[in-house]
Amino acid sequence: MPDDALVEIKDLRVHYRTTQGDVPAVDGVDLTVRRGEILGIAGESGSGKSTLAVALLRLLRAPGYVAGGSIDFHPSGQPSVDLLAMDERRLRSLRWRSLSYLPQGSMNSMNPVMRVGEQFRDVILEHAPERRNQLATMVPRLLRQVGLDEGVVRMYPHELSGGMKQRVLMAMSIALEPDLVVADEPTTALDVTIQRVILQSLGDLRDEFGVTLVVISHDMGVHAQLVDRVAVMYEGKVVEVGDVRQVFKQPRHPYTRSLIESIPRIGEAPWRDEKRSPVA
Amino acid sequence: MTAVATPERASGRGLRAWLGAHPLAGYAIRRFGLYLLELWGAVTVAFFFFRMIPGDPIQTFIQTLQQNYVYNAQASAEVIARYRQEFGLDGNLFSQYLHYMYKVLVQQDLGPSLLNYPTPAQDVIMRAMPWTMGLLGIAAVLAWILGLLAGALAGWRRGKFGADLVTNLSIALSHVPYYFLALILTFVFAYQLNWLPARSAYDARLQPGFSLEFIASLLRYGLLPGLSIVVIGVFSWLLSTRMLMVPVLGEDYLTYAQAKGLRPRRILTRYALRNCYLPQVTAFGISLGFIFNGNVLVEQLFSYPGLGATLVQAIGILDFNTIMGITNLAIFSVLTANLILDLLLPLLDPRVKYWR
Repeated sequence: MPDDALVEIKDLRVHYRTTQGDVPAVDGVDLTVRRGEILGIAGESGSGKSTLAVALLRLLRAPGYVAGGSIDFHPSGQPSVDLLAMDERRLRSLRWRSLSYLPQGSMNSMNPVMRVGEQFRDVILEHAPERRNQLATMVPRLLRQVGLDEGVVRMYPHELSGGMKQRVLMAMSIALEPDLVVADEPTTALDVTIQRVILQSLGDLRDEFGVTLVVISHDMGVHAQLVDRVAVMYEGKVVEVGDVRQVFKQPRHPYTRSLIESIPRIGEAPWRDEKRSPVA
Repeated sequence: MTAVATPERASGRGLRAWLGAHPLAGYAIRRFGLYLLELWGAVTVAFFFFRMIPGDPIQTFIQTLQQNYVYNAQASAEVIARYRQEFGLDGNLFSQYLHYMYKVLVQQDLGPSLLNYPTPAQDVIMRAMPWTMGLLGIAAVLAWILGLLAGALAGWRRGKFGADLVTNLSIALSHVPYYFLALILTFVFAYQLNWLPARSAYDARLQPGFSLEFIASLLRYGLLPGLSIVVIGVFSWLLSTRMLMVPVLGEDYLTYAQAKGLRPRRILTRYALRNCYLPQVTAFGISLGFIFNGNVLVEQLFSYPGLGATLVQAIGILDFNTIMGITNLAIFSVLTANLILDLLLPLLDPRVKYWR
């Protein structure tokens, strides 16, 4: 075991039960997340990257199930555990304090009938009841950190824009200084200027709080801007892992190459270029 | 529906400006106007509808009087005309209608009842109302609370044996008419086992009042009719709550709540149930309004002296004043319940806004 490993995924297999038999979505993935790094997971839709994230967070729902493998988690100051073997109650005590989740902001992740402040409050009180007295200062401070006005505390989710929602979720995900934040498509469905701000703040999270991030995105541009290392998934398998610069400079797998080539560049219109084969 | 007043215009004129500054008050006034219109419309339709029933209540009434008091002579035309006038049955239909509306609105008088002449119809209704409200009101509240909780659990634990068993049982039993269940309950508990009384609202030997004995008797006599309404009610509330619950359980905010590591009970109440109980509140308000109709069949079956039984008797002898009184009460309560719910909804769900 490398000393700096926070998460070690070993031979993870996740299948979906269908009427035509089992469909493997994650097919024997080995992957290590190092403490303090930002690891990107890239791949097209259907490559299994989101299923991997959901399995890592133990949020997999039927018909999905874990067919094999282990996910060893080494939270700081606590004994190491296999996330897949833990019982629900112990897992619950680990959630948010050590293992937190940043969903896509355009999803309906916030309870529509609770004020933003209340949604901070319930997760903080659940896992850190000793901070009850600090709540009044803590939540506005978290919101300011992601560039939001503290008045947002009193707002309902439907009163926020997509970018504001994404920032609220970001502030929430680091409320209890977790060891690991799994961000699933954190910039998808946001316009490019907001995307840039979100990427900036995600980078700041790591620099200021030492949070380890796993960032799942189909967008190679996101990985190029944000992550330290990137894992490329294709048909349920990790086909390439490495330093993001290295991967971009010298992609070893042909799929990685076509992913990188699919990033549009000014002055090049792929549909006019006869030599380039279109990427599905 | 909303007219946005620009600031310059809003500062200018009296009422329009005030409404622009107080959009909620504007909405409440519009909603109240609609409510008055609905009240008038429903009462008018009911009035003409009941007058279309063939038969002459006064003739029948005179005959009954003659039989009771062995008064053999033919009643004079004046006596009949006098009664017609007293019951508001003289003149053509339209003048009867104007007369009725005048009496009800201006004099707050529903007119005398035929059922219990010369007792005013409102007294007949007021006498029956506590029985109906006590029995049906408590039964409706109980059925709603139990059904909501059971339905939430059945949805929450869907796929598990117990929850699916209860759901399937409810699908079958919610279609059993409550009077059928009432008959079975009566047969088993009153006639076979002889545990509970089958009819009336309290022990006839007791004097109504606030004695422990009387209240115990009330509960004993109310148990069978109440139970038959509650049981069937619980099943249908259970099903509708479960139906609302299941799609909410698939929402992203439930996955997120789970990722937050919240207690399952908190997720169930604050995240799942909180997002699906709103239609049930509305439905409950409407069903509360219908209580004032009385539950005709159950009250008949158990000889319960409530509004439903009174309504049936009144229709039997074409006691228009009592029929209209009970109908008006039902109309008033259904529409008022709706009005109150409409005004309360923005408080229950932050997304509901009638104004901008």
